[in-house]
Amino acid sequence: LSLIMQNQIHVGRLSPRRHWTNVLTRYTVGVGGAAVIGAITLIFAYLLWVVAPILLPAEIETPTDYRIVERPTALVDVSENGEAMVRISETGIVEFFSVADGSGIAAFDLGRTIVKAKRLSPLVDTYALLDDNNNLLFVKTDYIIDFDNGQRRLSPKLSFPFSNRSIPLGPLDNFDAQLADDDLVIATVSGTQVSLTRFKNVEIGYRLGGSAQVTLASTVQAQEVFLVPRNQWIYLLSKSGEIDVLGIKSLQRVSRIYQGSLAPAGSTITAVTPLLGRYSLLTANDQGDIVQWGALVTANETRFVALRTFDVGQPVAQLITEPRRKGFLSVANDGELSLLYPTSGRLLDQRPSSLPASAPMAISPRSNLLIAAPQDGLITAHGLDNKHPEISWSALWAEVWYEGYEEPIFSWQSSSADNDFEPKFSLTPLAFGTMKAAFYALLFAVPIALMGAIYTAYFMAPAMRALVKPGIEIMAALPTVILGFLGGLWLAPIIEANLSSVLSVFVFLPVLLFAFALAWSLLPEKIVHSTSGWYGLIVTPLIIGSVYLAFQFGPFFENTFFGGNSRAWFLEVLGLSYDQRNALVVGIIMGLAVIPTIFSIAEDAVYAVPTHLVRGSLALGATPWQTLVKVVLLTASPGIFSAVMIGMGRAVGETMIVLMATGNTPLMDFNIFEGMRTFAANIAVELPESEVDSSHYRILFLAALVLFLFTFVLNTVAEVVRQRLRRRYGSL
Amino acid sequence: MMSANKSTGFFRGWFASGEPWIWMNAAAVGVSVSAVVGIVLLIAVKGLAHFWPADVAKISFEDKNGQQQLVFGELIELDDLPVKQFLESGGNPNWVTEGDPRMQRWLVKTGNRKTNPPDFRWIYVNQINNTETPGGVIVLERVEWGNAYGVPKTLTVGRENPQTITGEALMPTLLERLARGDTIREEIHSLEGGAMNAINVGLERLRLQMRQINRTLPVDEAALAEALTERSQLNAQYNDLEKQLREFYRQLDQDQLIILDAQGSEISLRLADVLRIWQPNNMNALEKIAEYVGNLWLFLSEDPREANTEGGVFPAIFGTVLMVLLMSVMVTPFGVIAAVYLREYAKQGPLVRSIRIAVNNLAGVPSIVYGVFGLGFFVYFLGGNIDQLFFTDALPSPTFGTPGLIWASLTLALLTVPVVIVSTEEGLTRIPRNLREGSMALGATQAETLFKVILPMASPAILTGVILAVARAAGEVAPLMLVGVVKLAPTLPVDGTFPYLHLDRKFMHLGFHIYDVGFQSPNVEAARPLVYATSLLLVILIVGLNLTAIRLRGRLERLYRGVES
Repeated sequence: LSLIMQNQIHVGRLSPRRHWTNVLTRYTVGVGGAAVIGAITLIFAYLLWVVAPILLPAEIETPTDYRIVERPTALVDVSENGEAMVRISETGIVEFFSVADGSGIAAFDLGRTIVKAKRLSPLVDTYALLDDNNNLLFVKTDYIIDFDNGQRRLSPKLSFPFSNRSIPLGPLDNFDAQLADDDLVIATVSGTQVSLTRFKNVEIGYRLGGSAQVTLASTVQAQEVFLVPRNQWIYLLSKSGEIDVLGIKSLQRVSRIYQGSLAPAGSTITAVTPLLGRYSLLTANDQGDIVQWGALVTANETRFVALRTFDVGQPVAQLITEPRRKGFLSVANDGELSLLYPTSGRLLDQRPSSLPASAPMAISPRSNLLIAAPQDGLITAHGLDNKHPEISWSALWAEVWYEGYEEPIFSWQSSSADNDFEPKFSLTPLAFGTMKAAFYALLFAVPIALMGAIYTAYFMAPAMRALVKPGIEIMAALPTVILGFLGGLWLAPIIEANLSSVLSVFVFLPVLLFAFALAWSLLPEKIVHSTSGWYGLIVTPLIIGSVYLAFQFGPFFENTFFGGNSRAWFLEVLGLSYDQRNALVVGIIMGLAVIPTIFSIAEDAVYAVPTHLVRGSLALGATPWQTLVKVVLLTASPGIFSAVMIGMGRAVGETMIVLMATGNTPLMDFNIFEGMRTFAANIAVELPESEVDSSHYRILFLAALVLFLFTFVLNTVAEVVRQRLRRRYGSL
Repeated sequence: MMSANKSTGFFRGWFASGEPWIWMNAAAVGVSVSAVVGIVLLIAVKGLAHFWPADVAKISFEDKNGQQQLVFGELIELDDLPVKQFLESGGNPNWVTEGDPRMQRWLVKTGNRKTNPPDFRWIYVNQINNTETPGGVIVLERVEWGNAYGVPKTLTVGRENPQTITGEALMPTLLERLARGDTIREEIHSLEGGAMNAINVGLERLRLQMRQINRTLPVDEAALAEALTERSQLNAQYNDLEKQLREFYRQLDQDQLIILDAQGSEISLRLADVLRIWQPNNMNALEKIAEYVGNLWLFLSEDPREANTEGGVFPAIFGTVLMVLLMSVMVTPFGVIAAVYLREYAKQGPLVRSIRIAVNNLAGVPSIVYGVFGLGFFVYFLGGNIDQLFFTDALPSPTFGTPGLIWASLTLALLTVPVVIVSTEEGLTRIPRNLREGSMALGATQAETLFKVILPMASPAILTGVILAVARAAGEVAPLMLVGVVKLAPTLPVDGTFPYLHLDRKFMHLGFHIYDVGFQSPNVEAARPLVYATSLLLVILIVGLNLTAIRLRGRLERLYRGVES
């Protein structure tokens, strides 16, 4: 063809208009065709592009130094938006500097000497400052952005959240303060003595009211003190790692919750800090281990378990936690920085630094900056490129020991109302659910579709086939949302109310069918022979009849075999609990969605078996059935295989049916009477609410990519097998 | 002994003949066909039954506490459950019939949700003392609170000089006043959708304009003053219209209707809340059929009410059709061009073969994956950038950077382009080679051959592909949930304000409507019949499209048989 075309052009008899139309068409088609094919590859490329950042390693970047006024530093921090740094000096001066160039923006003099400064947990912009007279003062930073003559300007402000009156605390070694909703508790330790002060109905911007106080004796020489969520407990920790946990829900009735040790015998704790949410404690000991301890509350006891241990190669002097995530950073004695993340168990990056191990340090609220004050007149800032630390191969696929759980588990729980929630991103329950749904659907669909295809292609009368084939194929076009709706709101309640009837269909149908077939074979040979193409029609009343009978006898079965309540029987005898929307419903309904796909391809494969093979076999004396099993099915087997593959691809990716006909709980249980959550349904439920470019968002894209690749590979295999089949017939 | 041997021999022979297996295979076909027919019948029966103006029964029954109760209600469906379950859920053992393992119960729609909830209740057959269908009961379809049932007692017409009407004159007056109410509602609708909507659009435009003026330095005081004057003018106009609107509402709310429920207690209703009334017990079959057709029409033509559990599905039909139309406008040229390229222009080789396989396989990629791509690439990436370039005024509220009609159509176009390509290619392959050669031999260029010979011949195949694509797109829901469908769109994507077709708007869709009403609705019993009806509509649409495609394909096959011979 192209030869002819080129000849035409060479002949040059075309008018310019015709010539250019021809050329233009060629290019339009070429460009258009390439664009469509490009668009299709774009899907894959884009999914990969969104997923890729989770594979990139995290990095502690090269530091930037800012020279500032020399003052002894008590605390450094970064503003919420990451634009300003704040330093609180021991001389009581609060200064703000620009992150861009280190220039001073504002300064406030508190007029007192600060000996200790901490964040007021769980806030990121409010600090508790202890002066040399053991008075505690709370200060709050605000960053106001306004426009001055069109110029964006950041103005830091310092305010007193509970008025500028300080709270006298008495002599102390260490303190902690936490505001849980409206409940402010200040805890101080001095030797073995613990003092607690509680303010109720606290609101930021208002004066503190009256307080309740209590002083108690602890069993440990506490060096560190931490209040835990909702101000329920207090942790007291000694240098040698002994821990004393007191329940302080009511200051009148303080109870001992736990007593024990968080360090191996003979070792000392070099650093300790609670992770975000304060459900777990990180301890570093002089043997170089960092251990994440979780408090585990069971019905009869409370204990501390080591959830995981990190080894950064050398003893650690300081631990700094991220204010908005569960990650942390360790500083070794020689200044080496290690970035770690508990849930994924990852050591993300390490970088040597010249920072003194005890320098005041903080990670910014957005976890993208580490600032430290190594000297009185210097601030060093390391950028942290660490967007998806919670994802690792093991966090996605292996069992993970989450905070508050008794053992490592597979769990998918991506979000919660709490800010200090530990997201659980295990894809295993979703993969399991996907496989479970597909398995039960195929269990139902494959036998029916294949047997139906064999009968339709090989035995059925042509007149009937002309109706049946398009009829079943129409089913492929039925919107799955309708099937899902029927499954969830029509079939599921019916099965729930008539479980034994539904199960007895599987008994009645084969028995009745067998009896009927036997009776039919006793009819005169002539009738049997001439009707074999119409069995499919003859049998239909029988099917409807056996369903009817099953529902009539269902209550009888229920009483005889299941003690009057089949669901209770399954729970007591087999230990299978029952959900209304379960894998049985999905199996049947999704089976119906998959049947036409498998049926159509398998029917084509069987139908395409050359007739001379069949006739040859029959001529050699084989019965039609023997011919089918030994000749036809064998020849059509690649086509049948590809039919099942394509059916599986459809079952794996089906969304609406699973969404509507299951409870969408990410379970890891193969029980047919319980639901599941699949990749596809999970994406449909969670993606619209997911924050763009967050780890959650990228993991959902990863799930989509997995689905894409899985079905694409499955279909390609099927297609290649089918083409080979076609070639083989060509030679026959 | 003999007979036993004989019978085993018979069975062996019978199994060897394969006869039982053939029956089993036949049964598989039977199951598949029964399932298809059964599903379609189920949807049709349940969907169509909803519109029938069923008789209203007066049921007297004994309630849980042994009190006699009287209700008006429509008997919706008869159901049964095992006695054991009934007793376990705290049922009254007195209602059990000795020896019957199952309990029969009626689902009764009793309406009157405000005065006597719930509006749907199960009443056990053994609980019922007496059922009758008294004449004179009216069913009132209300703007909110669902249906009301009762016998009309008095109608008070007018606020200033109230006239109380009873007896013979009541029904005619009631119908007349309802018709008047309809007229006023129409006026209100056109006022709100027309003039007031136009002013709102104008105000929003001014707001963005003023924001822009304030942002650019130095502030253009003259322009600002002009915008402010315009705004106050628009606000004044709006106030006038609002006054007019209030007057309409006052006109509407003139009448008070008192009906008696089955117990004989009075229920007072504002006639303004009543949309329609009918008296099913007084209707003959013909009147009922007329009412039925009317109900069907209202279902197709009305907006939904009460969180989609009442009223019609018109916006969903409109949204589905518009989205599918936009999609076919995009998918047809691209699908055809790609197919022509692959079959007519590209050099056939391993590359083209593998592209063909890839395209084929894309039809098997789960639709949710396309939804994910659509949300990420079209909505956030393309839409976000369009907003940055052209709609900076409105930022940070997104215009195109949020799910909408255009993105839904594009996503579905991508989803269905393999269908069009495969079908078109099939059509192109069937065109005999000698036709192309003949055309070229007569001196036609390749383009002329394409446009004058090949494409016309392939047009049925292209059409088949497009129809199949449309059928697939109309039934897809999963990707749409991510890229633009909402449960309730305040406005249609097409209206009287510039640019008339609003590609950025969210829209309603029949498939999503089924999901939403069936699964997210607060009142599932009330919503279920509507879901069946919506399903039926969607099934008819899609099966119809598919049958058309199948018939077209058949015609195509016959056509080429002629050409080839």
